[in-house]
Amino acid sequence: MQIRTLKDALSFGDLPAVERIGFILFITFCFIFPWIIKGGFAQAVMIQFLIFCLYGLGWNLIGGYGGQVALGQAKNVGMSAYTVALLMVRWNIPFWVCTPLGVIVATIESFVLGYFLFRLRGHYFAIATIAVSLVWQQLFINWNFIGGARGIELPLRETPNFIYMQFDSPVYYHYFAFVLVMIAILYMNWFRKSRLGYQLRAITANEDVAESLGINAHWVKVKAYCITGIFAGMGGAFYTVYYSYIDPFSVMHLELSIMIALMTMIGGAGSMWGPIIGAMILIPLDRYLGAWLGGRGILGVDFMIYALMVMIISAYEPRGIWGIIEKARRKR
Amino acid sequence: MVLLEVTDLTKDFGGVAANSHISLDIEKGEIIGLIGPNGAGKTTLFNCIVGYHRPDQGKIRFKDKNITGFKPFKTNREGIGRTFQIMSISGDLTVLENVMIGSFCRTSDRRIAREEASEILNVVELEKDAEAYMTELPIATQKRVGLAMALATRPELLMLDEVASGLNPKETEEMVALLQRIHKAKGLTVFVIEHVMEVVMPISQRIIVLDGGQKIAEGKPRDIASDERVIKAYLGEKYAKGRKNRGSI
Amino acid sequence: MEMLLSTLVSALLMGMLFALVALGLAIIFGVMNIVNFAHGEFLMVGMYTAFLTATIFSIEPLLTLPIAAMVGFLLGIASYYMLVRYLLKGPMIAQLLGTFGLMIFLRYLAMCIFGPDYKTLEHGLLIGKSIMWGPVVLSYPRLGTAVLSMLGFGIIYWMMDYTRLGKALKATALDVEAAGYMGIDTEKMRGLAWGLGGATVGIAGALLINFYYVFPTIGILFCMIAFATVALGGFGSIKGAFIAGLIMGMIIDLGGTYLGPQYKFALIYLTFFLVVVIRPKGLFGW
Repeated sequence: MQIRTLKDALSFGDLPAVERIGFILFITFCFIFPWIIKGGFAQAVMIQFLIFCLYGLGWNLIGGYGGQVALGQAKNVGMSAYTVALLMVRWNIPFWVCTPLGVIVATIESFVLGYFLFRLRGHYFAIATIAVSLVWQQLFINWNFIGGARGIELPLRETPNFIYMQFDSPVYYHYFAFVLVMIAILYMNWFRKSRLGYQLRAITANEDVAESLGINAHWVKVKAYCITGIFAGMGGAFYTVYYSYIDPFSVMHLELSIMIALMTMIGGAGSMWGPIIGAMILIPLDRYLGAWLGGRGILGVDFMIYALMVMIISAYEPRGIWGIIEKARRKR
Repeated sequence: MVLLEVTDLTKDFGGVAANSHISLDIEKGEIIGLIGPNGAGKTTLFNCIVGYHRPDQGKIRFKDKNITGFKPFKTNREGIGRTFQIMSISGDLTVLENVMIGSFCRTSDRRIAREEASEILNVVELEKDAEAYMTELPIATQKRVGLAMALATRPELLMLDEVASGLNPKETEEMVALLQRIHKAKGLTVFVIEHVMEVVMPISQRIIVLDGGQKIAEGKPRDIASDERVIKAYLGEKYAKGRKNRGSI
Repeated sequence: MEMLLSTLVSALLMGMLFALVALGLAIIFGVMNIVNFAHGEFLMVGMYTAFLTATIFSIEPLLTLPIAAMVGFLLGIASYYMLVRYLLKGPMIAQLLGTFGLMIFLRYLAMCIFGPDYKTLEHGLLIGKSIMWGPVVLSYPRLGTAVLSMLGFGIIYWMMDYTRLGKALKATALDVEAAGYMGIDTEKMRGLAWGLGGATVGIAGALLINFYYVFPTIGILFCMIAFATVALGGFGSIKGAFIAGLIMGMIIDLGGTYLGPQYKFALIYLTFFLVVVIRPKGLFGW
């Protein structure tokens, strides 16, 4: 059974050749990137791209395959990031012990919240997730034990340290993030062929029909929401050690949740490659354009561009860029 | 053996009784038709049995187990499968994958689900459309896919909601033949809603008639066809009276 | 005791403004079952419009009401015909994220034009004045705002019940297809609902600027208040929006005074939760 699961995750055989080639190119690119591009800014953008791939792949589960507008990915990121940071700062616990704990905290939070919130449907659910995110953020800003609005800073260690994941070169972080993204992609590859994947898609298409086929829609959604939480939790743990500083505005912010959702929508929600395509477009755009415009004192143009893209995508092709590709392919 | 037993079922929506005090039994292996004019409460009765509505009063027993108020996914797991008038399921999935969703009800192994789904597609004669997408298919084929999806959950009682609506006479005939074949091959108990009498008459062993939320008749197709109350329900008071008068002359 | 009384009165006055803000959302939801996430940003646009008109032409802020209403109306109409019309064809997720995109767009457009600073009006008929009424302190801007909000609310309420237009809107809300058969141009009615929604919230913005500062990201705050209000009143119910607005005013002001201002928004969300979990259709919803 386990071997079969592994085989499912590793086998991309059912995909068209173009997609497989694209995937190999993507892996190669990510793999050799630190060797060919030495610029510090470019490397930082690349790592950010990988983090957002991870977030997006996770959100795609509930938002894309599950069709639920959950705008609270940031709080899962934050839950895990704060757990990791607190344990590392206060009790000096190694990163490799903190991370599972952080992921567990994020998952439990997702479970409890999902259990209650999935009683709501459609717009009620979306608004409720926003409300929860805002409450958490307010709470974290006002909670002094965890640093309040000042946030938490990880202590700088003198020598590079694997146990606390502190390195002097971004290359290590790059590969660590890359490994996380690969795990996520393999999981998604298994997921899309799995029972959970089909059931979730059935619920998105028509919940009543799905229930008549023996699917406990509430439970399946909660499960998917928890998995989303796991992905966000891994991202949050990585974020903490990579930046060695977190505050409620960077990891708990509603804007992060929005960004993740918009990115996935643009790339193609409910498809395997959508989140990656979305991140590939938005992250460089965000960083380079943001840096360029910010340097000239112009704020917010980058967000306006995503907003326009999202409006166009939702109005004309809700399945995003991947949807357009797929449509063109089916016509042939 | 009684498979499904409904006693004294009542459901009203904001003061309008959609079903009032309906009782019925279904024997294992039967094909039963449920007919009645539009708005008679057929779909409400179906939805109460399957679990989309919770009945206000009354009991539903399936295989001697009280399933009143069970959610649809639970009634399905007990062994009740159903189709919808419009079975809109994902356009991104192929026919085979849609049917697999049904098979996944019993197994979590993709390979087993796939095998079962293709087997069922053979039964409903859709093997050549297995790789087609739902949105590309004509209505008659979509109805068959809906039937296949319900069958894939391996129900003991199959409830069909207007399987023949939107079909032309030839397609209707084929659907009736298919249902009879499935019934014979699998020994399935089938409960059919139709408002067109011509469809249910040839296949049903017994017919139940609803009108205005109440059960007005039950019996063999032949007896139902000549039942005064049924004719009145379908054709109106005047016609029934006229017929009676003519009869007396 | 005096403080409680003062807070209570001021909360009720504020509640009337919340009711007006929620009204636009309720109209739009009632007519076409879509939630406008950009509603708070419409309010922000109304506030900036009033702020700019009042400062550039140095006129009395209250005189900017018609202009803010007009801008809100046009914004609503434009949103409908350029975006929402297409969103309605798509799945739920596209509808939600589409208006969400509009929200982000307007918010950062404002950020781009006005910068992130807080802005307030300093001169005006009402601004900064108050009177004592027995033991109760009445602030002029709140009083004026409440009176005008009530007036605006009254006009819309009257229009919905007694004019042909209002009846056509209601018919569209109840059943689009049937309304279409009756010869109502439902497409126009939906556009109009967005226009009306925009206009009412534009007015609310022009009123709010008399005693509140404006900044580009103010929208989400009022958007959440409006959501909570509409959820409490019942999505799509105009009468519900009014009463719920008053209740929200009390919750926010009393909570802010007695629990501390940092908790007042948490209270809004809490209210929202309790309402959607305990009584999802709200006080007056159908």
